[in-house]
Amino acid sequence: MRRLYSSLVDGRGFDLCLIGIPLVFLIVLSGVPLVYNVVMSFQAVDMFSLGSFIRPWVGFDNYRQLISQPEFWPIMGHTATFLAASIAGQFLFGFALALLFWLNFPGASWLRGLFLVSWVMPGLVVGAVWNWLLSGDFGVFNFVLHQLHIISGNVFWRSDPAFALWSVIIANIWLGTSFNMIMLSVGLSSIPDDLYEAAELDGAGALTRFWTITLPMMRSSIGALISLGLIFTLQQFDLFAAITSGGPNNSSNVAQYWAWDLSFKQYDFAKGAAISVIMIVVVMLASVYYVRSTRHEVRG
Amino acid sequence: MSETTKNRLLLVFALLLAAVYLFPLYWMYITALKTGSEMFRTPPSFWPDEPQWSIFPFVFQLKGMNQFLWNSTVIASGSVALIAVLGTGASYVLARYRNVWIDVGLFLVLMLQVLPASLMITPIFVLFTLTGILDFPRTAVILAIAAKSMPFFIVLVRATFMSVPMELEEAALVDGNSRAGAFWSIVLPLARNGILVAAILIFMQAFGEFVYSKSLIQEIELQPSSVGLNAFMGPNTNEWNRIMAFASIYVTPILATFVLLQRRIVSGLTSGALK
Repeated sequence: MRRLYSSLVDGRGFDLCLIGIPLVFLIVLSGVPLVYNVVMSFQAVDMFSLGSFIRPWVGFDNYRQLISQPEFWPIMGHTATFLAASIAGQFLFGFALALLFWLNFPGASWLRGLFLVSWVMPGLVVGAVWNWLLSGDFGVFNFVLHQLHIISGNVFWRSDPAFALWSVIIANIWLGTSFNMIMLSVGLSSIPDDLYEAAELDGAGALTRFWTITLPMMRSSIGALISLGLIFTLQQFDLFAAITSGGPNNSSNVAQYWAWDLSFKQYDFAKGAAISVIMIVVVMLASVYYVRSTRHEVRG
Repeated sequence: MSETTKNRLLLVFALLLAAVYLFPLYWMYITALKTGSEMFRTPPSFWPDEPQWSIFPFVFQLKGMNQFLWNSTVIASGSVALIAVLGTGASYVLARYRNVWIDVGLFLVLMLQVLPASLMITPIFVLFTLTGILDFPRTAVILAIAAKSMPFFIVLVRATFMSVPMELEEAALVDGNSRAGAFWSIVLPLARNGILVAAILIFMQAFGEFVYSKSLIQEIELQPSSVGLNAFMGPNTNEWNRIMAFASIYVTPILATFVLLQRRIVSGLTSGALK
């Protein structure tokens, strides 16, 4: 007993205890659901069998039914559009801003931090504000576009099937740009100054320096950031709930919203689990790439 | 062009960009202050004719926001407490040793960080129903958030522990401290700032959490503000000034905290997130 106590306070037991309890917690609350999700996707689950462990086994039926649903491929397409457009938009705006603040004028670091408010706000609030900004008849976004002569009539962002997905993408780009900028700023500041000085002495112009020094030096942070962007974008749920709810007629529905909608609106937990399994595999692949691209830093 | 003029021009340009970027936030506050007819005016007014300050106490009363905000606070505090107690020890061990097992542990933690809440909620809901945890909905949400956010906390705090020199701890051990004693009285105080920043970030995240609360809490009197705001926004609403007032009351404490602690939060975030 005393040896156990002294090990807990002063030996191996101390470390094992510190790491063991959180690990068990994470395994019980993340690992077990993860595995159970896979099990559930092969079962028939309805409101009556929800409360029992033993349910009829149906093999790949849930997956087959899911894929044969007419909305399956459109929703997968929307997910791909949402991912590509959000990540590209966040990254390009973020990179442009990071380059501006890299010029390091007085007040630059304070202002740069201020941009991050978009990222700390609750997603529901961001969604509510953009819902109102993008309103068709009275939205100020339409008004500004009209003043700039970009559009002539009002665009019904949220209710027009051609634009509904883009209304969420616009809000998501706004939300994520600041995070991208901060992360790219870190990468930029780690490039040694003498590289630029040497290039300047050799007569390289600003554009040449950008292509031959900045971009190559940033390659690993850009890789990490884009896979991180993929991970974050696949987690985006609040904006869909606050702006379009996946509508009209699924035109802005994406996989991560559909999974929730199947489970909690249509009470089809088995299909919800099946689509979750498919998407979690995608996220896992992205995160393996992310972990690998930051591997040299993981070892510290 | 001299250096100062160039700097001034850049600052003005950056300020303009910041104004454009933060316009949605401005529009939220301004809309809240407008009357019902003024907010539907074309062209829209960019400053309210008569600011309706009374809308804030009105909406607060009307929607019973004290209950919503209280629930958000309970959920966020509970999650932060659980995460800080469990996560600090884990990040310490993950920072102090280097071997294959630590790499495996880190890899697991990073992988758990990426699971989207809206995909994990289906199995969590079913498991919580089966085990009866769902009878305590706010506790259920706290557990779910803790599992979701702890990896992020570990990544941030581990970076802090890495910067605490190991020699200080070894000196304390030579002086006759136990491992636990050295951890408690030397390492923890040195890492306090980093832990605090990570805890604040987690608090802000948990304060705005939506998916778990929406799915696990059915009783209105136990729901947090995010779910309240979602319920307020019906499909064909025209109460935008009231919704924006609700949003303003909800988000202002978070914004104030962020602006006050901006420098620390940004540096804490950048030290861990890409590493």
